[in-house]
Amino acid sequence: MKFHFQDKLIEAKDGDTIAAALYRDGRRIFSRSFKYHRPRGLLCVSGKCPNCLMNVDGIPNVRTCITPVRDDMKVKPQNAFPSLESDLLSITQRFDWLMPVGWYYKTFTHPAMWHAAEPTIRRVAGLGEVLTSEPKEYEHAWMHADTAVVGGGWAGIQAALEAAKDGGQVVVIDDQPALGGQARYRKRGGEIPVDPIRQLQALPNVQILHDSYCFGLYEGNLLGVLQRDPHPGAAERLIHLRTQQTTVATGTYETPLLFPNNDLPGVMLSTGVLRLLHLYGVRAGKRAVIVGPSALSEEVSVDLHEAGMDVAAIVSPEELVSVSGSGAVKGVQTKAGDFECDLVVVCGPRVPDAGLISQAGGKLTWCGVKGAFVPSGFADHASVVGDAAGGELAGFATPLPSSKRAFVCFCSDVSSQDLCDGIAEGFDHIETLKRYTTATMGPCQGRMCQLSAIGVCARETGRSMAETGVTTSRPPNPGVTLGALAGSSHHPIRRTPMHYAHEKLGAVWMDMSDWKRPRYYRTQSASTEKDCVLEEYRAVREGVGIIDVSTLGKLDLRGADCGRLLDKVYTHRFSDLRPGRVRYALMCDEGGIILDDGTISRLSEERYFVTTTSGNLDFVHQWLDWYLAGSSSDVHIVNVTAGYGAMNVAGPKSRDVLGKLTSLDLSSAAFPYMACREAVVAGISVIMLRIGFVGETGWEIHCPAESSEALWEALLEAGREFKIRTFGVEAQRLLRLEKRHVIVGVDTDALTNPYEADMGWAVKIEKPEFVGKATLSRAAKDLSRERLIGFVLGGPGLPQDGAAIVVDGQLAGRVTSSRHSPAQQTAVGLGWVKASQAQDGATIDVRVDGKLVQAKVTMQPFYDPEGGRLRQ
Amino acid sequence: MSFLVPCPNCGRRSVYEFRFGGEVKQVPALDAPPALWQEYRFNRTNAAGVQTEWWFHRSGCRQWLQAVRNTITNEVLETYLPGDKH
Repeated sequence: MKFHFQDKLIEAKDGDTIAAALYRDGRRIFSRSFKYHRPRGLLCVSGKCPNCLMNVDGIPNVRTCITPVRDDMKVKPQNAFPSLESDLLSITQRFDWLMPVGWYYKTFTHPAMWHAAEPTIRRVAGLGEVLTSEPKEYEHAWMHADTAVVGGGWAGIQAALEAAKDGGQVVVIDDQPALGGQARYRKRGGEIPVDPIRQLQALPNVQILHDSYCFGLYEGNLLGVLQRDPHPGAAERLIHLRTQQTTVATGTYETPLLFPNNDLPGVMLSTGVLRLLHLYGVRAGKRAVIVGPSALSEEVSVDLHEAGMDVAAIVSPEELVSVSGSGAVKGVQTKAGDFECDLVVVCGPRVPDAGLISQAGGKLTWCGVKGAFVPSGFADHASVVGDAAGGELAGFATPLPSSKRAFVCFCSDVSSQDLCDGIAEGFDHIETLKRYTTATMGPCQGRMCQLSAIGVCARETGRSMAETGVTTSRPPNPGVTLGALAGSSHHPIRRTPMHYAHEKLGAVWMDMSDWKRPRYYRTQSASTEKDCVLEEYRAVREGVGIIDVSTLGKLDLRGADCGRLLDKVYTHRFSDLRPGRVRYALMCDEGGIILDDGTISRLSEERYFVTTTSGNLDFVHQWLDWYLAGSSSDVHIVNVTAGYGAMNVAGPKSRDVLGKLTSLDLSSAAFPYMACREAVVAGISVIMLRIGFVGETGWEIHCPAESSEALWEALLEAGREFKIRTFGVEAQRLLRLEKRHVIVGVDTDALTNPYEADMGWAVKIEKPEFVGKATLSRAAKDLSRERLIGFVLGGPGLPQDGAAIVVDGQLAGRVTSSRHSPAQQTAVGLGWVKASQAQDGATIDVRVDGKLVQAKVTMQPFYDPEGGRLRQ
Repeated sequence: MSFLVPCPNCGRRSVYEFRFGGEVKQVPALDAPPALWQEYRFNRTNAAGVQTEWWFHRSGCRQWLQAVRNTITNEVLETYLPGDKH
């Protein structure tokens, strides 16, 4: 396998991670530090430190030490210019005296100073560049198990076998590509338990997730699990794993020691050196000095010898003075003498990896004997086993020198001296010290630095480790890419049954919630939107037009008590509606605020057909259900929105078109305005409502979705001789505006009651009881606040929605809808003004393109005020 | 927030399947003073502890139910269909 690093092609062996292949190729500097641009090399080789973060195939901050190589991948270093070897910005470390701890708080005391410095700081500091394109797919999955075991080492394998005994479903989450834990790289840490692993793999009720890590244990025993490379189609998969019991077997991890230049490339944790050697066959150096307590140092020393590496010395942490070198380790200074070497192996203190336990309500308490914070006091549903519980820790005290070059936090370059300074300035609590210095707040989430930070804080304040305590661990830990949290970029779209017919007719689409609706139709005779809409408008006013209104919410109500329910929930009365009649329906809440509108048709004694606005269907359905909840009313509500398509045929010639397709008598005597019929049109069973949102003779026809396209085509065919024209939402909005019909949510808002919206006629306040009656009874008497008015503009121009209405130089209201009206030959609109100004014929000013234009108030429709055309 | 709600119809389900419908409270009488209606419409008890709430199982049985929940621990102690327990 080969991959690209900068301009070079790097060869990789089977099973290599990116970092292992680069190390074998001779690379020692893997990144530049956040603040001082100090060279940094591999440290933990387990995905826990920030030193190997690179940009891989466009994704920033990838932990290359645990990311397997894929053929042809493109890897780039971050935060270094021009290259990792010679980063010009490393000059910043010479000016570290200019940037003491809390530098930001001390320097940027005025916003202007920050604005001036921000671009430079953003260039100099920081990590990778944020990805703006989206080349990767992420997905979510949901899993359920009786037991989740986090960690695939010896303890995890045992726990999983135990949990699987009773036949329960077990999921094992391991961040490595193979089970075995530290036995995989610690030759003297015990054999890889081959038999138990085989046993586990053979069990049908056990599922093993490799290359996956658990980043959070949430309420309800929900585990957030991130799986890398689940399949070639997805970069990462986020698994929502719900369990009864969670067993944490995450073991321990090694942390660095504090000494000057402890961050030089060539200073590595012992587990990192052993991982490189035993997992990837890479020798970390030629001549090593090992630092650490004797038991651990001996073990590492034997391994290095066997691999053919020289061990120059084994030094105890107390003896170590500093490490020297520039860009790479050259030697070690100790109290017993100096040694030349190219590798310093640090056997640092081990920390139980128990962050999940504290998220589950457990506590981490200091254990002096073990020299570690160990978990205690778990919740019932979570337990911890093995080294993560503090099992085999042999604690040792480590020296904590104060030095500007002894780094506690590798993520954001916080030295032990910085911590001392912070404490001296009064931030002597571990939580405030964390926030002030940003130690433990970087990408490593405190893994590398928490123990030393607590140690320094305890020493400086004279408190014990137990008194100092740990900072709070919160999910996600380790970090999760935002892409994985967001999941798939799939966006659901709803299409009406006639969608593809519209497409053929040249529809220009608009989105209305999830729906696609034709905004207007492009034709050969008209090219601009304005021309198209005008043609569609003329067809409806002078001939005949047809519009797809399938997006209307449609509810089929059946039962003896439907009338009673509708009387209660809507403001009008519906129990006295005769079968075969339609009524406008307005819904208010208990505060008298308009929630939704539509029409209600009584198809038979015990059957009502309710329409709602497109976006409010679910709400209205749930609202009706809520008023039914717990009652024994005989009402059955079925949502038929998707089951029915709907279209509105409107215009003076609509009767001629429909007449060709049905035997039903369509005359106004037989089928008057606001009547409804079940009928057959073009051989298709339909519900016809004679209503007129657009203000012309017209029928709203509802039919089964599977027949809707056929009916649409039949109507277009029948209408051809009358030059029938399909019209879209834009023309419909113009047509309805001329009729002064409001759109709930456009012309009304969260404070609008029917009286102020001039729709008091739709409220039967004398009904004994309905939702909103208490408040509306008072609102009917008090119209002193605002009123919805119509206005006709006296000059040229078109006010935008939301434009200001001005009276006597004072702001008096706002425009909610405005269009150029062909009927009035000028712009007309709806708007809200103070009640005192809502007088027919009053003069107001409307802001149009920055200027005030005079307009006349009208409380009448702009077109056909008597409604004669509707009833024709 | 990721607790489970035991739906009387569907069993234990993720809270994300539900819509919260507010506290269960008494609707004032029609002739109640405006202050009482205002209280009903705008004010919440917001108890730190156990309270009875409306929930709608949107991604399940699509039924309204009532739940007794501890708002501190998010433990749902009991759920039932309205009318089953009055």
